[in-house]
Amino acid sequence: MPKASSLPDETQAAPAAVSPPRRTAAGRRPDGRERAARGLPYLLVTPLALFIIGLALIPAAFTIIEAFYRVNPLDPPTRFDGIGNFRRLFANNVVLTSIGNTALYVVIGVVASTVLGIFFAVVLRRPFRGRGILIAVLILPWALPGVVEGILWTGIFDPNTGLLNGVLSSVHLASHGSVLLGDNRWLTIFLIELVQVWQITPLSALLVLASMQLMPQELFQAAEIDGCGAWQSFWRITLPLARPGVAVAVVQALIATLNVFDQPYVLNGAATTGSSITEQTYFISFQDLDFGGGYALSLLITVATLIVSLVVVRAVYRRVDY
Amino acid sequence: MARTLSSRRGRLGRTTTAGAAAALAVALAACGGSSSSGSSAAGSSQTSGVTITVALANTALPKAALAAFTKQTGIKVKWVDIDWDSLQTKISAAATAQTYFADATDVDWSRVGQLSKLSWFYPMEQFLNTKSMAADMPQLASFTVGGKVIGIPYDASFMVTTVNKDLFAKAHITTMPTTLDQYTADLKKLQTSGASAHPLDIPFAAAEGLSTYWYETTGALGGTILDQSYKPQFTSPDSPGYKAAEWMISAIKSGLVPKSNINVTDSQGMQTLMAKGQVASIFSDYSGNVGTLYNVPSASSVVNQVEYLPTPGAAGAAANWSNPDGIGIPKEAKYPKAAAKFIQWFTSEQQQIDFAGVNGAAKAWPTYPLPSHLSAVKVMATRGNLVGGDALSAMLATSKPVFEGGAPPWYPQFSNSVYTNLHAAAAGSETVAQAIKAIAATANGLAS
Repeated sequence: MPKASSLPDETQAAPAAVSPPRRTAAGRRPDGRERAARGLPYLLVTPLALFIIGLALIPAAFTIIEAFYRVNPLDPPTRFDGIGNFRRLFANNVVLTSIGNTALYVVIGVVASTVLGIFFAVVLRRPFRGRGILIAVLILPWALPGVVEGILWTGIFDPNTGLLNGVLSSVHLASHGSVLLGDNRWLTIFLIELVQVWQITPLSALLVLASMQLMPQELFQAAEIDGCGAWQSFWRITLPLARPGVAVAVVQALIATLNVFDQPYVLNGAATTGSSITEQTYFISFQDLDFGGGYALSLLITVATLIVSLVVVRAVYRRVDY
Repeated sequence: MARTLSSRRGRLGRTTTAGAAAALAVALAACGGSSSSGSSAAGSSQTSGVTITVALANTALPKAALAAFTKQTGIKVKWVDIDWDSLQTKISAAATAQTYFADATDVDWSRVGQLSKLSWFYPMEQFLNTKSMAADMPQLASFTVGGKVIGIPYDASFMVTTVNKDLFAKAHITTMPTTLDQYTADLKKLQTSGASAHPLDIPFAAAEGLSTYWYETTGALGGTILDQSYKPQFTSPDSPGYKAAEWMISAIKSGLVPKSNINVTDSQGMQTLMAKGQVASIFSDYSGNVGTLYNVPSASSVVNQVEYLPTPGAAGAAANWSNPDGIGIPKEAKYPKAAAKFIQWFTSEQQQIDFAGVNGAAKAWPTYPLPSHLSAVKVMATRGNLVGGDALSAMLATSKPVFEGGAPPWYPQFSNSVYTNLHAAAAGSETVAQAIKAIAATANGLAS
């Protein structure tokens, strides 16, 4: 029987970076070839490690430090400012609105992409004719850049010539030329997030599907013999065992929605009805040239992402052993 | 602010790199975010046998033209076409990090004050006789702050009013309006006669085009946005700026402007409304659009129907606001003198005539909108190479910079406040008074 255990996960001890030459099973010292073989993994991983250190960790460290500095070429020199950047951000109504908008993006996006991801994973779980093609089609939106999707959906949401308005007006659910984006904040955020859900759901579906593919069929057969219906089987076996995949899917959706930029920027410009925190980071950094403020907002997004991700992992993730 | 048609058309596509803005901000920190402004790495004074990088939001010049320049000067040109938004981000990032990215690049009129204060670009009078250029280049004023010329205009974009004369005729309007009141009355007539359900295009999307529209309307009513000390001139309900905002908002509330325009950008309005005959007029259109968009059969269903109209003002035709693109030399340029030679050649009258297609298609620069030399525009008009050339050259001669003392250093923040608040007023979440108050508060806060 599979076993679901709660965190903390078991961790494997990392090999010591520097250790005395180990003796082989025969008790002799390793020769040059063996030493080279042992060093090969480290050698192979070095470029990636340097890449991550150079382009992620060092800039991240600078961001953390400079979030507490006044960095603005229009207001030189760069100087320590304590929590000044954060204070200014929280006194800025536009930033506060964007935080509220982003929270809505997160709630709508995470819930919708996870539910849809589980649904598609269940549909795709069993082999059927055309399954491969369906998976390929499903992946397409995930492969498209957010900007391209934004442009595509701009056409769909266009009040005059858009597909959505055309369909809605033809079934008398809306009048021709109804404004979908920019007029009502809730509708604007919902529709913009719908576009992002369209983009991120494929990955959620694949992650959950991967979890489901590992589930032994015997379990379902045994459940069926015990009189378990399809719905019960889903709730009591499939979903609990899919929790590792669901947890990763939720975290990726969380990261994507907390950092949403392309879709609101392309579909709704800078309007406060839909602007996100990352949009404000861009405006503060590159329009206002207040890089310190930009660093501080980036740091806030990172911290929020980390905290919420940890909460989600704690709440959703369960280790499953088959 | 994108000015040329090519760059405007690419506005949505230009946002590709904007998504990486946060990452770029992070990278900036690692590359020298703490740098002080205005430092200069002295470039080489070589003017021959070098390769310079020219980064603009335009397609490359014709190969033959660049080859001729290389033959003439010994300077090779590597042309980099970057979308406008990304280019502005790159300029800021490179200057802040004090790294080289181009020898000559875009100087937008709206960033002139900022670039001047930051000393990110060389003053052009250091290399060229800018005083002698001023007479034939009316828009040089838009690039001048405190007597320093930050860039040389290479096109002469300015805001104009365009009308679909066929739709006006359909509403039995035979005499074109010369004042804003007449213009508004004619728009209402177009609506009531059924000639056009929503005759006017105002791009109410929260983007730069909305700010520009308001500036042009304010100018048409005889006002300015900010005075020389950057004090708001639009707070009184009697002021042209306030009236302009009221006129724009009432236009969408009354249906003169389609309700759906709440999320339409300037280029979208031009391409999908005006060029398709959905509206009859744009009060603040781009100069050159008749020839490069409305009369292009593949992009327009109103070929030969649209013409320029001297901008209707409070009591007659009003001056037009300049909106040009310029080119300058960043302080981190490797070969500033060679770049200056290129700019001199690139912005010369003869080259502009060639780029405009007067001397044949081989020498033409397909995306080039309008020469910045008045004499070049006149040559185009005389030889029949410019649709509405006579009207355009007359308007160009009297075009004025939006900000008399040069755009303020904090213009991007100000403009953001303008377009987000006017958008909110159009959407109904703010009143005009609230929007104006918020915009004024932003300007006062930034100016203090």
